[in-house]
Amino acid sequence: MASHVLGISALFHDSAAVLLRDGVVVAAAQEERFSRVKHDAALPVQAARWCLAQGGISPADLDCLVFYEKPLRKFERILATATATFPRSWQSFPRAMHAWLGDKLWTHRALARLFSVRPDRILFSEHHLSHAASAFLCSPHATAAVLVADGVGEWATTSLWRGRADPPFLEPVAEVRFPHSLGLFYSAITAYLGFAVNEGEYKVMGMAGWGKPRFREQMAQLLRLEADGAFSVDLDYFCWHWHATESFTARLPAMLGPPRVPGSPFDPASDPESQRFADVAASAQAALEDAMLHLAGHAHRALGERALCLAGGVALNAVANHRLAAEGPFEHLWIQPASGDAGAALGAALWAWHAVLGNPRLPEIRAWCLGRRFAPAAVEAQLLELGARFERLDDPVARAAADLASGKVIGWFEGRGEWGPRALGNRSILADPRGAQTRDRVNLRVKLREQFRPFAPAVTEAAAAHWFDIPAPAEAPARAMLVAPPVRAERREEIAATTHVDGTARVQVVNPADSPTFHRLVEAFGGCTGTPVLLNTSFNLKGDPIASTPIDAMAAFYRSGLDLLYMEGCRVERPR
Amino acid sequence: MGYLRKAMLTVASEVAWRLPGWPARFVTSFADSERASGIDMLAAAEHTERGDLRRKYFLHALDESKHAALFLSRAMALGGNKERARAALDDSGTLQRHGTVEGRSMFERLGEMEFLAFVWVAEADAVEQFGVYLERQLPDPETHATLQAILKDEHFHVSYSRQELDRFRKQGQVAEVEWSLFRVRRDRWLGAWLRFSREFGVIVSGLWLGLAYAAMLGPFRGLAALEPGGWRPPLPRPACSLATARSQA
Repeated sequence: MASHVLGISALFHDSAAVLLRDGVVVAAAQEERFSRVKHDAALPVQAARWCLAQGGISPADLDCLVFYEKPLRKFERILATATATFPRSWQSFPRAMHAWLGDKLWTHRALARLFSVRPDRILFSEHHLSHAASAFLCSPHATAAVLVADGVGEWATTSLWRGRADPPFLEPVAEVRFPHSLGLFYSAITAYLGFAVNEGEYKVMGMAGWGKPRFREQMAQLLRLEADGAFSVDLDYFCWHWHATESFTARLPAMLGPPRVPGSPFDPASDPESQRFADVAASAQAALEDAMLHLAGHAHRALGERALCLAGGVALNAVANHRLAAEGPFEHLWIQPASGDAGAALGAALWAWHAVLGNPRLPEIRAWCLGRRFAPAAVEAQLLELGARFERLDDPVARAAADLASGKVIGWFEGRGEWGPRALGNRSILADPRGAQTRDRVNLRVKLREQFRPFAPAVTEAAAAHWFDIPAPAEAPARAMLVAPPVRAERREEIAATTHVDGTARVQVVNPADSPTFHRLVEAFGGCTGTPVLLNTSFNLKGDPIASTPIDAMAAFYRSGLDLLYMEGCRVERPR
Repeated sequence: MGYLRKAMLTVASEVAWRLPGWPARFVTSFADSERASGIDMLAAAEHTERGDLRRKYFLHALDESKHAALFLSRAMALGGNKERARAALDDSGTLQRHGTVEGRSMFERLGEMEFLAFVWVAEADAVEQFGVYLERQLPDPETHATLQAILKDEHFHVSYSRQELDRFRKQGQVAEVEWSLFRVRRDRWLGAWLRFSREFGVIVSGLWLGLAYAAMLGPFRGLAALEPGGWRPPLPRPACSLATARSQA
């Protein structure tokens, strides 16, 4: 009889559910794709319900449900930190206690009730162990160094693990503990630059390309690289460990200048203040990259492994990942596409399956579209009910390629939704990357977001080396848009819309076996234009999660400036 | 609108809109409501079994998204929406309460008729509320223009939901419709009372928790210290087993 494990991450941000059958992922989805609340942290009832339906099982069939962290250990950290920062934590303590005494302390009970699971079948992993497992246990590497870096879990903010071929598969080596945190450092800079925390970190990465790291010296003071191979944060400048609503103290603006007002215009070409903010972003980005290289160097020296598996929210920083691949000591780099907290649901499930239930390793996971799929007939029926103008096509790929080549910006909704924050060609907005004006058009008219933000190119595997300078260790993460290598200098003008101002691009290398339909589309576009590269950005508007259902897709289509929507073989036009 | 309700709304808005910082807070809260309403309407469009209503819910959802964007833009102009998400770590504010409760959207919880009753009551209230603001020329000409633009759509929402309720009545479900309307109105009042109680409870419990903080944590301040930076040895762990995996600590 098949064995089923349900992994759950929730109650912090990006909640998700993952179902394993005999160790193989049957379904995986974030709750936000159901609730339509971006970064939804609620217990993922809808995602879990859908996962069970995909597996054709009921909660009673589960061998275990695994929560991705230890709530009581986290509670201990909050109490200990509030005590150590007394009396400055007087505002944050009652705030945290309201949530914990009201809800979070009773996670076990809530899991049993909402997921209808027997209490003795509920297991608890650890936050960083879940992250580590999410990277290592679905990688192709029998042994590896595993580095986890995020905001914070229970106590650890950064941890190093030895990935082994035999149980318990992951052996803890060392950790950096709260309040010293790379993730929180970057989030504090995000807040300083006027972006929302847990949402604007990508914007900081994009803004960094416009600046020069002229505050590097100051950043080195804020984020010190220690002789033992780790780092520490100068806590005089930050207050995330005691303040209820702020991230940094008055000393940070005293050092770097006044913080950016949210929503203020950003024009580094004509506004010195914008340039200062870009320089702060570039400096913080450089500091983060230096810290990651420092940690990786230590991991290599300490463990002597050839492969590095990377996890945690910091592993979504594609620019830092590229530097790790290009300048780091490891021959292979492996990152799971949902390396943030959502992905920890996968790690928790894999850890339970392998380490607790004692099952052997399985082959690498390569196909990451693990979300919902909609039957073409059902999509067509909904389009009719919505009164959409559409036609069903025999060969949507060829028609979409022709539309793209004629300058149309299209929504592309085919097959199962992606796992993780990146659209990998199943829930994507696509455009012709030739011509810088496309970037401004998609930013302002289609996605309704800031003009300075770059777009990613998707390129066929066969053509990747012709366009991008991807270092060998980055081959695997480049399949999931997790590295930002340089565009070859002589090609930058040709794909100006997807070449960032610093000459890099967060490329997706499309493999024909992993993504057959999307690969055909990129190839067909190459056939039309001679450029087998497409601008690929997630199918959502600013502030919304990626479109998950046909209704979501239609709403995003009508609200945006998209020219066309391709959905499960239908070509939908804008209403007259 | 009842005379009493209108009088209360007029007095409250005359006071509230004129307090420093409050227009921005109000308009931000309108943006939040419209956004949440858009999510509820999309969920309804997803779940309804009636094709004709799917389209109406869908168009309604698009309107709500547009309104949210208009209000948000106005809130930013008024200096609002700037206090959000500045804490790098928030161990408290992550349990969101939106239209989806314990995995069920508002439409799934209420069913078609009661959902339509909710839409009609809520939209009619909004029309009345915005009407008072417009009548009193509150709070400024730009917000006034935003409210006027939005009011046109709200009239459509009131109209289609009333028509649908009338259709149920014509099908002989008069008592069911009236019961749905009663339940919706009752739940809205109850919801408002619970929100007020919750806010009050937060203040009271905040005081108690503040006392507990001083009395229980303060004396141990000298014994507690923050962790230093740099690598630390991993915390001791028991061998991996089902029993240890069941532990939350």
